Order: sequence, then C-alpha cells, then structure tokens
Amino acid sequence: MLEYIKYIKNSRKILGMNARNLHYIRPYNKKRAKRIADEKLLSKRILKKGKIPVPKLIAKIRSVEELNKFDWSSLPSSFALKPNRGYGGGGILVVYGKKKPSRNASRFKMGWYGGLSGNDDENAWIKADGTVVTVDDLKEHILNILDGAFSLSNLPDIAFFEERLTLLKLFKPYTYKGIPDIRVIVFNKIPVMAMLRLPTKESGGKANLQLGGIGVGIDLATGVTTTAVQGKNRIIEYVPGTRMLLSGIKIPYWKDILLLAVKAQEISGMGYLGADIAIDRERGPVFLEINARPGLSIQIANLSGLRERLERIRGLNIKTAERGVRVGRDVFGGEIEEEVEDISGRRVIGTVEKVKLIGKEGKEVEVEAKIDTGAYSSSIDVELAKQLGFEKTVEDFEKIDLSQYQILPENEASIKKDIMEKYKNSIPDLEDVSVIFSSSGSSIRPAIKINFVLDSLMINAKVNITGRVQLNYPMIIGKRNLSKFLIDVSK
Amino acid sequence: MENINSFISYLVQQGVPLDTVILLLMLPIIVTLIAFFRQVIGIKAFSIYTPAIVTFAFLAIPSLRYGVAIFVSVILVGMLARFILKSLRILYLPRVALTLSIIAFVILILLTFGGSMQRTGLASVSIFPILIMISIVEKFVATQIEKGNKIALILAVETLVISIAGYYLASWSVLIKGVIAYPWLVLLTIPVNIALGKWGGLRLSEYFRFKEVFKNFK
Repeated sequence: MLEYIKYIKNSRKILGMNARNLHYIRPYNKKRAKRIADEKLLSKRILKKGKIPVPKLIAKIRSVEELNKFDWSSLPSSFALKPNRGYGGGGILVVYGKKKPSRNASRFKMGWYGGLSGNDDENAWIKADGTVVTVDDLKEHILNILDGAFSLSNLPDIAFFEERLTLLKLFKPYTYKGIPDIRVIVFNKIPVMAMLRLPTKESGGKANLQLGGIGVGIDLATGVTTTAVQGKNRIIEYVPGTRMLLSGIKIPYWKDILLLAVKAQEISGMGYLGADIAIDRERGPVFLEINARPGLSIQIANLSGLRERLERIRGLNIKTAERGVRVGRDVFGGEIEEEVEDISGRRVIGTVEKVKLIGKEGKEVEVEAKIDTGAYSSSIDVELAKQLGFEKTVEDFEKIDLSQYQILPENEASIKKDIMEKYKNSIPDLEDVSVIFSSSGSSIRPAIKINFVLDSLMINAKVNITGRVQLNYPMIIGKRNLSKFLIDVSK
Repeated sequence: MENINSFISYLVQQGVPLDTVILLLMLPIIVTLIAFFRQVIGIKAFSIYTPAIVTFAFLAIPSLRYGVAIFVSVILVGMLARFILKSLRILYLPRVALTLSIIAFVILILLTFGGSMQRTGLASVSIFPILIMISIVEKFVATQIEKGNKIALILAVETLVISIAGYYLASWSVLIKGVIAYPWLVLLTIPVNIALGKWGGLRLSEYFRFKEVFKNFK
C-alpha cells in the first residue's frame, strides 16, 4: 500500500502525454507559433533573421513542374533532402557523396537512349548505409513529399535541399553514420532538460529515439553527459558493441547551445519547445529545428522527471536569454564541479583516469593511470614503453651492468652523472636516470620524455620506465605532473 | 420488452427500427470508451473514427469470429500488398486503389471458402460491414507510409482490441436494457468526456514507459 502511494506521488514528477498537451503545449504554444515550428522553411527564415545559425538552404521544389525543370547537376555531393512539414524525422533523406559514374554503364545506356538520359545517369549519390540514390529515386521521394506522404495530416508539401552538416571529431566514436544533435527543452526562457541524441545502426543513422537511437542525458550546469537510454526504455552504459562509455562526454559550446535554444524560444514566441541543435565541425553550434511537441523520452535519458522541473519555474519573470540560461544551469544542474574548476583554474580529476600517451612516430596508446600523489615522478610499464616505440631504449638500458653501483641516497648524484655521461649518446631517447629508493627494493631506472593527454590537457613529462606488470595500472602519474589538477578521491 | 422509455416507443411507432435507436444511443458510449482507452490506459489505435466504425461493423456481423477473421485478413493483405506494390513505384492514391482491389478479391475468396465449407454465417455477411473493414485499409496504408510497418501493425492490433471491447460493451444486455429504459443516461458521457479531457495524470502505459525513471526516484 505504501509502495503504491509512493508510486502515485512520484508519478506527479513525471510529465505524461496528457499533461504535456493540456498544461504546456495547449496554453503556451499559440497557433501562429506552432506554424513556425511545423514549417521548416518558415522557421529557417525566421531563425536566420534572428541571427541564429541554421543549415544553408540549397534549393526548394514546390511543385511537380519545378521538379521536372530541376537541374540535378546543381546539387552538391552531399546534402539533406527534407519535407517542409515533416515530423518525427520522417521523409528525410541524407546523402554523403556523389557516386563516381561508371563508364561502362553510362556508355551502354547512351547507346540505347541516344544520350537523352545521359545527364541524369551521371548524377547518383551514396547514402549513409552505402546504397546508391539515383535521380529517379530522388524524384520519387520528392513526388511523395509533394503529395504529402510525410506531412502533418497529409497536406500537400514542399521539398527542399539543405547543406549537410559535418560530424564533430569528438562524436565520431559514438555515432553510427548520421549526425548527433542536442535536444534542449525550454520553458519560460529557461532551459529545463537536455539530451544528446546519437544515431545508431538500428535507427538507420537517424538521431531519433523512437527508431532505436540513443538518448544521453546531459547535466545542465556542466554540459557533461550522465545516463543513457536506447530506443524506448533500455538503459545502457556503453555504445552498443563497443567499450565507449556514454557518460562523461563533455559537450563543447555548452553555454552557446543553451543560449541558442532560449533565443529560438524568444523568436518563435512559443512558451514550451524542444530545440534541436547540432554541432558542425566548422561552424560550431547550428540550429536544426524547433519542435512544438517535444517527446517525453528525454526524461528516461536523464532518469529524471520534467513535470517537477517545469512546475518549479512556472511564472518566474526572466528578462534576458542569458539570465534564463543561468537560472536553468543553477537550478537544474546536478554538479558544481565546474565552479570549483572555474575558481581554482584547475581541473578536478579522480584517482584513476584515462590517459592517452603519444609515443614515437605518433603512436597513440590509451591506458588507465593511477593518480598517485605519494610518488614524485610519473612512471610507465616496460611493455607500455615498448608499445610506444621505445624498445631500443629499454633493451639497451637493460644491457648496462648496474651491479657496480651502490644504491644509496648519498650516491644518487654520482650514479646519475656516471650513467648519463657514459650512455647519453649511445642509448636513444635516454633523457635521464632515476634512482629510486623504496622499501621493496631500490633500483636505477631509465627516464624518457613523452607527451600525454590527461582530462584533455596535454602534458609534457619525463617518465621512468619500470616493470609494473604485477601492478594494476600500467602507468602512475606523480606529483610532478599534477600541478594543473585537483584530485577528488570520491570520483 | 418489459421497460421501454416513452420517447423510444414513440420513435418505434413512427417506424424507426429499434436497432437503429439502440446503435445511435450506443455511439456516445462507445466513443467515450475509446477516449478512455486513449487518455487513461494509453492505447492509441487509429484515432477515434476507425475503432468506432469497426465496432459497429462487428455488431452488424452475425458472429464476432467472422468479424475478427475479416479484419485480420484485411490487415494482412494490406501488408502483403505494400510489399508487392513497393517495387512498382507508383503514387499514393493509385497504390491505395490497387490495395483495396486486391483486398476485395481476397474477401471474395474468403466468402467462397465460407460457402463451400457450409459456414453460412461467414458466407452471408452483409456488404456494409465488409466495406467498412476494407475502407480502414486506407488508414492502415497511410500509417505504414508515415510511420512504418511496425507501428501500423501495433495500431491495427490496438484498434482490434478496442473494437472487441466496444463490441462486448455494446452487446451487453444489461446496458442495452438500460439505455432503452433510461436513454437520458447516455448524457452522462458528456461530463465523463469533459473530465477525461481535463485529466493530466499519467496514462497506465506511461507507468511502464517510465519505469526506469520511477526506479531512479527511490
């Protein structure tokens, strides 16, 4: 019984379809505003006027006549074909490159048709899944769009081509084909909840949850991803089929993205909306579309209720977009870590962190490193050093007869001097020699210079090469290389 | 009939068939049921018209079995036709016209089969309920194109479920006797619908949809 009451209580925190339509869409989204959201060309124009970056329009096709007259060779090698009044991602066709015309085939056809259709044959594009899209395919698709097959309530529609955005490097390992986008729910000029939508194999390269895409919740304060859902309600931690962790991705341009979302709300005049924003490799954040009926799955991606959040900010008087973004980040953001980072100017890391080492000839190896403030300098395992291209250094150093040295603190300086004098020129990359005194046995180790990336900061370090095989981590990072970080032991 | 409201007996005396009166009075109840399914339980079906009209088709067919059989074959053929016609690459309306024609032939075969198997119940189904069922194919095909096969099929099954529920409700003898004796009771559907239209709670299906969020609340 108590369980049951708790359920009912908690159900008030979640926004359901009924409440969304009744309490938010109906009263806050006026008809004119909804028209802006429903017609992509109109919203493109209005947003552009409001100085919001949008994908460039290439061409429009309004009628069968225009379709017949259309010059197919004017299309670039990659583009997106969309219905003006489409919804839920339906009817969108994206091509990634032009297919190289196969000489034999076109000559064969020229023979038959006397070259009449030669021009069309040379124009073919390739979709994300590798299938070829011919002019005939495009024509059929556009006819369907004009017929209203993808539009709300099947009204006749307009088809348009727009620039295809390019994928940000950061998102590459997380994305199957397509382009991920960021959905931000905005209410009363305040960003309320956000998620990163990743296209998957199941979703056919579309960033749509209903089709099997991945939704990753985002902490509003920091722009760092939290929990993730695939499809309707499968909670996942990794990108399916990989070991790519979905949490902890830091979305670039986070504040700008939230600002764009709020500004779009001001311009469109809608009280409650979903803003879809993508990040282009060259252009940065680009506004994709306004959504007057944003879906509810964002709550599953964030494992959090929307209704509760919306009710907290109803009626607040927000003057500017900047203020709205600040309120949203303060009220709904989960962590204050970034503030600490802002104040101290240093980054907060945990006791174990992923590190990317950059070895010789650009060899990159990613490992988990132990952050050890008890050690002065950093060290890496022998095997790891070999992987990074320092085999020669390791092997040559092992040949030195070290038994001649008495490893005592008072001898440290003389040992270093002696070895360096003798071998500096014969052993490649030997930067220094470390004499380590420890309870488990003292030793003399070679040191090399290497670059590594920790929490997106590049660090140039002198590291010792040791046998760390029996230890849990192939690398430890010592005090000397940690001056730019604060360590949070609970992380 | 033991207890007939005077207004209804007047209508019957004037030559209005009693069945027509009952069906007209049942209509508000059935559509309210459909609204309830959508708002409270979360079963969508193909909007409101399709499940309502299919319910009436079921009521007009001598046995629910045959009604369901016709419904299922119409949907199956509709799906098959999509695959066959896809490669033809033709526009929407001619495609639906072809689909409807194929279905008409299949129903004809079904009736022939019913006749030859001495299933007089199936063979003697009147034309109007059959036409109604065929016409839902347009809705089905449109959904297929817009939202894909899977969703269209789910919505078709939901329509079937709601229509069967509607059928049992509208052929429930207590309810029939009730509306004959007290036809004004049907007006109660008005406040019920207003309440449904103002209800902002979670739908039953949403408790399942958001079960992971509930788990996270503790």
